[in-house]
Amino acid sequence: MNEKKIIELKGVSKSFDGELILDNIDLKVYEKEFMTLLGPSGCGKTTTLRIIAGFVTPDCGELLFDGEKINEVPPYKRSVNTVFQKYALFPHLNVYENIAFALRLKKTPEEEIYERVEEMLTMVNLRGFEKRDVNLLSGGQQQRVAIARALINKPRVLLLDEPLGALDLKLRKDMQNELKNIQRKTGITFIYVTHDQEEALSMSDTVVVMANGKIQQIGSPTDIYNEPENAFVADFIGESNIIDGVMLDDFKVRFSGHEFVCLDKGFSKNEPVDVVVRPEDVDVVPVEKGMLSGIVDSVTFKGVHYEIIVTINKFKWMIQSTDYVAPAQKIGIYVEPDAIHIMKKSEFSGMFGDYSSFSDELEHLSDVTEEEE
Amino acid sequence: MNKKSLIQKAAASPHIVWSVLFIVAPLIFVMYYAFTDKEGNFTFGNFTELFQASYLEIFMRSVCFAFLATVICLVIAYPIAYFISRAKPKTQKILIMLIMLPMWMNFLIRTYSWMALMEDTGIINSFLGIFGIGPVHMINTAGAVIVGMVYNYLPYMIIPIHSVLSKVDGRLLEAAADLGSNPLTVITKVVFPLSIPGIISGITMVFVPSISTFYISQKLGGGNFDLIGDTIERQFQTAYNYNLGASMSFVLMLLIIISMTIMNKYADDDGGVII
Amino acid sequence: MKKSNKIYTALIFVFLYLPIAVLILFSFNSSNSTNSFAGFSLKWYKELFSDGATLLALRNTLILAILSSVIATVIGTLAAYGIHHMKNKHIKNTVLTVNNIPMMNPEIVVGISMMLLFVFVGRLINSSTTLGFGTVLIAHVTFNIPYVVLSVMPKFKQMDRHLPEAALDLGCTPFQSFYKVEMPQIISGIISGFIMAFTLSIDDFIISYFTIGSGFETLPIRIYSMTKKRVTPDMYALSALIFLSILILLLISNFTGNSSGVKEKKPVTLKQKKRRRIVFAATFALIAIITGAVLISTATTETVVVNVYNWGEYISDGSDGSFDSNKAFEDYYSKVLSEERGHKVKVQVNYTTYTSNEDLYAKIKSGVGGYDVIVPSDYMVERLIKEGLVQPLDLNNIPNYKYIKDDFKKPFYDNGEETYSVMYTYGIVGIIYNTEYVDEEDIGGWDLLWNEKYSGHILQFNNARDAFGSAMYKEGINVNTATELEWRNALNELKRQKPLVQSYVMDEVYNKLESEEAWIGAYYAGDALSMIYNNENLAFYYPKNSDGEFATNIFADAMCIPTGVSEENKKHAEAYINFMLSEEPAIANAEYIYYGCPNTLVTENPDYIEYLGEDYDVIYDPDIEDNIDILFSKYAYRNLPTDKLALLNRLWEELKVDSSSFNGGIYIVSGVIALGIVGFIVFCYVRKVRRRRLYWNTTPKTK
Repeated sequence: MNEKKIIELKGVSKSFDGELILDNIDLKVYEKEFMTLLGPSGCGKTTTLRIIAGFVTPDCGELLFDGEKINEVPPYKRSVNTVFQKYALFPHLNVYENIAFALRLKKTPEEEIYERVEEMLTMVNLRGFEKRDVNLLSGGQQQRVAIARALINKPRVLLLDEPLGALDLKLRKDMQNELKNIQRKTGITFIYVTHDQEEALSMSDTVVVMANGKIQQIGSPTDIYNEPENAFVADFIGESNIIDGVMLDDFKVRFSGHEFVCLDKGFSKNEPVDVVVRPEDVDVVPVEKGMLSGIVDSVTFKGVHYEIIVTINKFKWMIQSTDYVAPAQKIGIYVEPDAIHIMKKSEFSGMFGDYSSFSDELEHLSDVTEEEE
Repeated sequence: MNKKSLIQKAAASPHIVWSVLFIVAPLIFVMYYAFTDKEGNFTFGNFTELFQASYLEIFMRSVCFAFLATVICLVIAYPIAYFISRAKPKTQKILIMLIMLPMWMNFLIRTYSWMALMEDTGIINSFLGIFGIGPVHMINTAGAVIVGMVYNYLPYMIIPIHSVLSKVDGRLLEAAADLGSNPLTVITKVVFPLSIPGIISGITMVFVPSISTFYISQKLGGGNFDLIGDTIERQFQTAYNYNLGASMSFVLMLLIIISMTIMNKYADDDGGVII
Repeated sequence: MKKSNKIYTALIFVFLYLPIAVLILFSFNSSNSTNSFAGFSLKWYKELFSDGATLLALRNTLILAILSSVIATVIGTLAAYGIHHMKNKHIKNTVLTVNNIPMMNPEIVVGISMMLLFVFVGRLINSSTTLGFGTVLIAHVTFNIPYVVLSVMPKFKQMDRHLPEAALDLGCTPFQSFYKVEMPQIISGIISGFIMAFTLSIDDFIISYFTIGSGFETLPIRIYSMTKKRVTPDMYALSALIFLSILILLLISNFTGNSSGVKEKKPVTLKQKKRRRIVFAATFALIAIITGAVLISTATTETVVVNVYNWGEYISDGSDGSFDSNKAFEDYYSKVLSEERGHKVKVQVNYTTYTSNEDLYAKIKSGVGGYDVIVPSDYMVERLIKEGLVQPLDLNNIPNYKYIKDDFKKPFYDNGEETYSVMYTYGIVGIIYNTEYVDEEDIGGWDLLWNEKYSGHILQFNNARDAFGSAMYKEGINVNTATELEWRNALNELKRQKPLVQSYVMDEVYNKLESEEAWIGAYYAGDALSMIYNNENLAFYYPKNSDGEFATNIFADAMCIPTGVSEENKKHAEAYINFMLSEEPAIANAEYIYYGCPNTLVTENPDYIEYLGEDYDVIYDPDIEDNIDILFSKYAYRNLPTDKLALLNRLWEELKVDSSSFNGGIYIVSGVIALGIVGFIVFCYVRKVRRRRLYWNTTPKTK
C-alpha cells in the first residue's frame, strides 16, 4: 500500500438541526487504498462521505486534500467523484450521454469523448448499450453506468455510497468482485460506504467502523475481526459472544465463573473487561471435558454449520458447530486461549452479547434512506 | 372480478357522454357556422374575408403579444419556480399558495388596478415623481398590454414548472456538481432538460389564454389595437356576425392545435432536443 | 435560499401583489374614484353590505363554483378511474384528447361554441329561457372536468396496481375496495383537482359571459357590465374582503398542520385521522347545505319571477340607504297578487345587467335569454320592433304611462299604432374638458376632440356608433342617412384622430378625466356632473355645430317586453314597468342614474328639483329641452339598414386594426426572440445529431 496521504479529516464535526451527526472525526486516506466506512444507519458514514465529496460543509475541523485545506471548495472543483446510493443517473440522457457528461463539461473533443466512453463501457461490460434509455436498464446495469460515469473523469478518489444496496444477493457478490477488480486496475482510491459487514471485510484494505458519529476502530479486515476494540465493533463485525469478565493478571481472565488462559496482557489487576469469543471458536465437547457447561436452547441448521444457542450461567452463548446436538441436551464447551479476545470496557459494554433476543435481520432493515438532509 | 371490470367500464361513461354533448357538439357548431353564410349555405367566404390584410395583421399581432407574454412569463417564472422548489416543503406549500392567491381575486378588478398603477398620473408615476423621474408613459401601449398578460397568467407558468422541479431528485443535482458542473451548468444541463414537461404545460397555459384575451387589451391598451379575442367578441356581441366569428375561432383553434402539436412532438423526442 | 434569490422572489411577489395592494387601498377611498385617493373612509364597506345585487352575485358565484366543481370532481374522478382501466389504447387516447380540448382551446372559443349549442337547442325545443343558471353550470362543469381528470389520473398511475387486488383478496367488494383502498390513495389528487376547478370557476368571466342568461348573474359578469357606468369601489371592498378571508383560511390550514399534505412520511395519528374526517365531513355538509338551499329556494311557495335585463348601475339598488326599487316592487306586487289570488304569492325580480345594446341584441336575437323586461336604447328599440323581437304593450296595464311627458310618448323609434316601449330615461352627450389645460377659446364644438394641441390627452368612445357619431356631428353629416362616402369620410376623420387619442374608453372615462390622466372626453351629461363633483377643474358643454345649433347625440332608454314572453308573464312585466313609473321608484331611479327623466311625477317634484340643485339646469338645460324634438329627429341614432350596419362594423373594424399609430417594434422584438429560440433549438438539434453520429450507428444493436 502506498503511504502517501491523499485525504485527511482533522477534528471534523457536523450537526444537523442541533443533532450531532459527526463528532470530532480524524481520518487518513492513503493513495490506492480501498477504504470502507462501515456502520449502522445514522452512524455518520454517509455524512463523512458527503463532506469529502463537498455536498456538506463541516461545522468545524479541516478537510485536507493532498495536504491542502478544501473545506470551502465546491464539489465541482474537487477531483473526487461519487457513485450515488440509487445511482442518480440523468433520466433525460441515454447511457452514452450519461457517461460522457463530465467530459462534455470540459469541452473535450468528440473523438476523445467517444474513445473514453467506449473504454469505460468496455470496463464495465456495457458495450453496445450506448443508445439505451437509462430508465429501462436493470439495477446492475444502472450501477455499472453510474460507475463508468464517475470514473471517466479519472478522479483521484472515488466515493461509493452504498452502491450495491439495491441489488439482489447474487448480483451483489458479482459486483463486489467487479468493483474490486476495477479498483485494482485503475489504482484509484475508493472510499466505500456500507452497512454490510461482510461486504466491508471482503473488499477493503482498510475498514473504518463508525457508530454514534464517532470512529470506533480503523484497521485491516482481519484486525477488525480478530481484535475488535470494543463491544460495538465485536458485535457489529460478525457474530460474537461478549461476556463480562475480570482480568486477573496478564494472560489470565475470569468469566462465567471460570478462569481462562488468554493471550492478552497490559491490563491492570482485577480490571473489569469485555471478553469476546467468536461462535466458530467454541468447541462442543462432552460435559465432563468442557470448561463450561450448559443446556442447549435451540439448534438451527445453517447449511455449513449448525447454530446452537446454549445457556451457560444465565448467559446465552452462540456456538457454530458442524456436529449436531439435540435441544435440551446438556453439553460442555471448550475455548482455546487464542480464541479469547479481551477488550477494555466502553460505552457499549453490556449492550450486546446475549443472544436471548437474537435476530439477524433486524439490523439490515432500516438502512436504505440514511442521513438524508 | 366481472362486476369490477363492469364498474371500471361504466365509470368513464358519464364523462364520455358529457364530452360528446358539450365539447364535441359545440365544436361541430363552430365548424358549421364557419363554413356557412348567413343563409346557411356552404361557403368559404368567411375564410377569404379573414385573409384581408387587416385581419391577418390582427392575427399576427395577437400571436406576437401572446408570444412575448409567454416568453417573459417563462423567463420570470423559471427562476422563482426553481427557488421555491429548493425550499423546505412547508415553505414551498406556503409560497405556492401565495402565488395562487391572486387568481382568486376577480381578474377584471385586478386589471382595473393595473390601470390605476400605470397611468401617467398613476401610482407608479407619482412614486417616480418623488425622485424627479418621469412621468414614464406606460398605459395604452403594447407594453402595458403585455404586462397585463404576464401579470394575469404568470401563476399558470410558475405552478407547472414548480411541480416538475420539486419532483427532480436532489441527488441528480449533486451528481452533476460531483461530475464537474458549476451551479450554472447544473441548471442548463440537468435541471432545465428535466423540467421541459413543466415548461411545455406552462407555455400552453399562458399562451392559449393570452392569445384569446379580450379584456386586457381593451383596458390597458386603451382600445388602440385590437387582438383576436376582441375581434371575435365583437363578431358575436356587437356585429352579430356569427359566421365570421366562428371562422375566426376556427382558425384560432387550428393555430393553437398546430403550435401545441409541434411543441409536444419536440418535447416527446426522447428527452427533448435541448441537451 | 441565497440573498439574491430571496430578493428576486420578493420582487415577484411585489409584482403579484401590487395591484391587490392598490385595490385594497382604494376600497378605503372616500370618493368613488378608483385611481385617485381622496381620503380614508369605510363607506364602501357599508355600501357593499347594503348592496343586495352585489351580494346576490357573490352568492351566485359561490354556488356556481361549488356546484360546478363538485359535479366536475365526481364526473372527473370517475372518468379518471375508467380511463385508467381502459384496455383499448385508441379509445383511451381519443377520450384523453377530447378531454384536453377545453383546456387547450381558448376560453372564448369554448364560450362561443357552447353558446351556439345552447342557442340551437333552445330554438329546437322552442324555449325562450334556455340560457340561465343551467347553461352556465354546464359550461363551468365542462371546463372544470379536464383539470380534475388531469390531477386524478397520475394518482391512479402511481398507485400499486396490486392494491385493489389485495383489497378484493381480503374480502372487499369492488365498491369497498374503491372506497377504502383506492380512494385514500387518490384523495390528494381529487382535492387538488377540486381546488383547481373551484379557482377557475370563481374567476371565470369569458365563458360565463357567453353562456349566461336571465335570472342569474355572477360577480365577474356584474363587474363587467358596470362598464357603462363606473366600477364602484364597493367592488374593491368586496375583493379586499375575499382576499382577506382566503388569506385567513390559508393561514389556518397551514398552522393547524398538514391537513392536505401530499407526501407525508409521518404516520397519521388516530386523532389527526379523526380531525381530518371531521373536516371532510364538514366540507361535505356545507356543500350539501348550500346545494339544498338552492334547490329549496327555487321550490317553495308559488313564486312569480320577473326577469329584468338592464344596463349596469341603472337602478336605485338600496345602496347607501337609498330606495331599493326592485325590492319595493317585489313587496308591492306580492301583496297585489296575494290579494288577487287569495293565497301567498312570492315575487322575485331577477335583475341582471349588460354592457351595450349590441350585447343585449345578441341575447334577445338568440331568443333563449328568457328576459321579461329589457331596457334597450332608442335605435335598438326601433330595430327590435322592426325585427319583431318585442311585443306591443297593453297600456291599460300601465296606467302610470300618463305621467310620461307628451314629447316622449311617441318618440321617433316607436311612433306606430301600437306602443312597444315606455321611456325609462334619456341623456345628452356633452364634452367634458379640464379647465386647467384646455383653453376657453378651443371649446364649443366637436373639433376639440381633434385638436392637436391636446394630443395624447383625448378620449374617444370605444363603441362604433358613438365614435362615428362624434366625427359625423363634427363634419355635419347626418348620422342616420349618411351615404357610404360620408361614412368613409367619418372614418378618415377618426383615422386622423387616432394618433391624438389617448385611449378608446367606456367606463374608464371617469377615472381618466378625474385623475387628469386625460383632459378631454365626451360622455353623458349626468355622468359629467358626477365627474365635476369629484374634480372641480372639469367643465362641461353641449357641442354646437358651425351654425350655432346643438349638434350632439341624444339617447333614450326604454322599457320593452320581448316577443317570447307569455301572456301571463307579460302581465307581470307590465306591472313592473308600471311600478317603475310610480312616484317613489321613479324619483329614486332618476336620482340614482342622474340622467334626464321623462316622468312628470319626477321632473315636477320639488324634492327632486332640490336634490339636483344647480345640476337641474344642466340635465334639463332649457335650451336643450326646447330643441328636444329637433335633437331627436336629427341627431338621435336611428336603426341603420342592414347594409349600413355591416358597413359601420366593417369601418369600425378598419379603424381598430389600423396600424398607422401602432408601433411595429413589437414585431421586430418578437421576431428576433423567435429567431433566437428557433436558432437555439436548431443548434441543439444539430449538435445532438453530430454527437450521436459517432456512436449511433457504429455499435451493433444488442438484445
